[in-house]
Amino acid sequence: MEVSKPSKAKFIASGIIPFAFVIVLVAYIFGPGSYLLDFGVPLPEITIEKVDFMDSEIRVTVRNTGPIPVEVVIADVNDRIQPAAIEPDRFLERFEVAVVRIPFNWNVAEPYTIGLTIEDGTRFEKEIEAAAPALEPSLELAGFFAIIGTYVGIIPVMIGLLWLPFIKRLKKNKYHFFLALTAGLLLFLGIDSVEEALEVYKENLSQSFNGVLLVATVIVVTFLGLYYVTEKLVKRAESSRIAKPVAVALMIAIGIGLHNFGEGLAIGAAVGIGSIAFSTFLIVGFALHNTTEGIAIAAPMSRGKTMMRKALIGKLAGLGMIAGAPAIFGAWVGGFVYSPFATVVFLSIGAGAIFQVVITVLRWIREEGDKNLSSAAVASGIAVGMLIMYLTSILV
Amino acid sequence: MIVSISVIVTLSVFYFVFPEGISAQQEEKTFVTMEGAVITTSGEVIDPVLTTATVDFDPDKFLREFNYGRVSQLEDGTTVREFTIIAEDTKVMEISPGVFFNAWTYNGTVPGPTIRVTEGDLLRVKFINNGEKPHTIHFHGIHPAEMDGVFEIVGQGGEFTYEFIAAPAGIHLYHCHVMPVEEHIARGLYGVFIVDPKESRPPADEMVMVLNGFDTDFDTENNSYAANSVPFYYLNNPIQINKNELVRVYVMNILEFDQINNLHMHGNLFDYYPTGTYRVPSAYTDMITFSQGDRGIMEFVYQYPGKYLIHAHKVEFSEKGWVGAFLVKDNPDQESQTGVEYGSKQTIKG
Repeated sequence: MEVSKPSKAKFIASGIIPFAFVIVLVAYIFGPGSYLLDFGVPLPEITIEKVDFMDSEIRVTVRNTGPIPVEVVIADVNDRIQPAAIEPDRFLERFEVAVVRIPFNWNVAEPYTIGLTIEDGTRFEKEIEAAAPALEPSLELAGFFAIIGTYVGIIPVMIGLLWLPFIKRLKKNKYHFFLALTAGLLLFLGIDSVEEALEVYKENLSQSFNGVLLVATVIVVTFLGLYYVTEKLVKRAESSRIAKPVAVALMIAIGIGLHNFGEGLAIGAAVGIGSIAFSTFLIVGFALHNTTEGIAIAAPMSRGKTMMRKALIGKLAGLGMIAGAPAIFGAWVGGFVYSPFATVVFLSIGAGAIFQVVITVLRWIREEGDKNLSSAAVASGIAVGMLIMYLTSILV
Repeated sequence: MIVSISVIVTLSVFYFVFPEGISAQQEEKTFVTMEGAVITTSGEVIDPVLTTATVDFDPDKFLREFNYGRVSQLEDGTTVREFTIIAEDTKVMEISPGVFFNAWTYNGTVPGPTIRVTEGDLLRVKFINNGEKPHTIHFHGIHPAEMDGVFEIVGQGGEFTYEFIAAPAGIHLYHCHVMPVEEHIARGLYGVFIVDPKESRPPADEMVMVLNGFDTDFDTENNSYAANSVPFYYLNNPIQINKNELVRVYVMNILEFDQINNLHMHGNLFDYYPTGTYRVPSAYTDMITFSQGDRGIMEFVYQYPGKYLIHAHKVEFSEKGWVGAFLVKDNPDQESQTGVEYGSKQTIKG
């Protein structure tokens, strides 16, 4: 029997043929088979994603989130019809966005309902609890956000890092407790980010975005991406002069940095919508909360090879910046160019990063310890970590 | 491979996040609001308040259009007035600029045609139901029970002839009375039924205003309000009348969902005759409040030329369309003041 080596052409064809069938399948349903889908009535839908209060003008960002094109024909404020302009034009294809500009002398801190009516007479609305002037990007404001971001992100993380000498002198068992505590803190932050992402989605985005799946997908992709990068980094650490503990601490710092970006978004957005009182609590809460993040970074670092004091301080400061500084960028983005979709994506990235870090820490404990995770120190550490986070989160 | 996938993913994310930044700039347009604010836009102006747009219904034509029917006489000298009214419920009409709604109509319009007869005439209305749902015509006024249009439901493709002696003199209404009546009325099956007294009213510039609205998203709240269906229409196309000339407005409120409606006229007061049945006015006022089905006759003369608003003093309604204006002209031709045939005033287009 002759066994012929399959030719390259055959190989490629075998990969392409199923694709060709998929194309035929799709073409059929759009072409001759379209009657198959001719059931039911597609209902138009638009979603008001954002309302900005400018000088004597209300600016509404609207997206067609339904299955069919729509036409925006009437704008109203508090259910009273108002002349308006719509840019680029009133015809919205699926997922297309337009900005409706309504000239209106609104009053600060008063509630408003913005309504848009489409060509079949259906009216969609969004309630704004309290009108506040939209933030105009300025150097002054950018500086303000930078200070807030430093206060919330960098300083608390640095304070947390000051626990390093203390942790360093702990016995193995107690040290494991602190590592587990870190895992608990991070686990809490991850869940917190997921909740926040889902909340933003529910309040501002249409169902057609499949928000829950969007969050899940971004988390998994981020998780796997970082998992891959961490493996590489730790492997390289073993062969180079970067100590493994530093590599782990770096991963933790990156994860926390992504998370703090999300926190910065929340603060920027809170200032942006004018709830100053709310953002004061947010700022104090995040500051206390983030002190614990410093511990998370300090814990693995404490088992590094003894380094020069200067080098150690430099590394710690660098890690603190990586973890804390994104809060500043987050505040800028949240305050100036708030986009609900981008926020959901960023928060999900943060969650994915943190879950990955939790895994890294747990593996670290396992390797450090006696290849098990079931010690009292580990269990109580995780539990206490989550409890601390829960209690400080009440302040937010 | 990985690079190209990540580029595609990044681009698609950017498309979702900043799609408005991608579209090209168009030429600038400017519009001025009622408050005097000037808005410059590269997009489109959507302004049902201050722009004139034509829709599938002409409020100018309706305003002064009276239908007297096909006239014949019985042997005993009674005048017979015959009308044909066709109900439809499947067409989608533009009822406000840009808003398309499945209105239910008598003879293709909301309100249906204004039927005008004289007290004592024999009214014969051939009703044809070309809709998919059952409909009737229920007239207000005095008539035998079987002509009341309530129990004699006319199904799809069916016909019925309503026949009775018109009485009493006044302004009445007709509307569909099939359950759910609220829906049949709110969708547009109504019209004005005027019975003139045998001894005619003084000559005047006569017009009909039906106060109505549309619930276009079916949440039992009206989305637009108007006199004669089209929101803000008479604000942009003021009703032209002459100084020192008697004006008579047959006004009827058929608004559903809201408990009341009202009317306020600027710069003048009017004599008001509820239901138009008595020849003595009940009030000299600038304000009337209506419940559903309330109607009456307003009579007034403007002394000063200029533009005067007429609108719901329930301002919510006026800000959603029930606002219009009279343009009182200073220099009318003298003939129109003396030689007006009663009820024959034609539309003056400006």
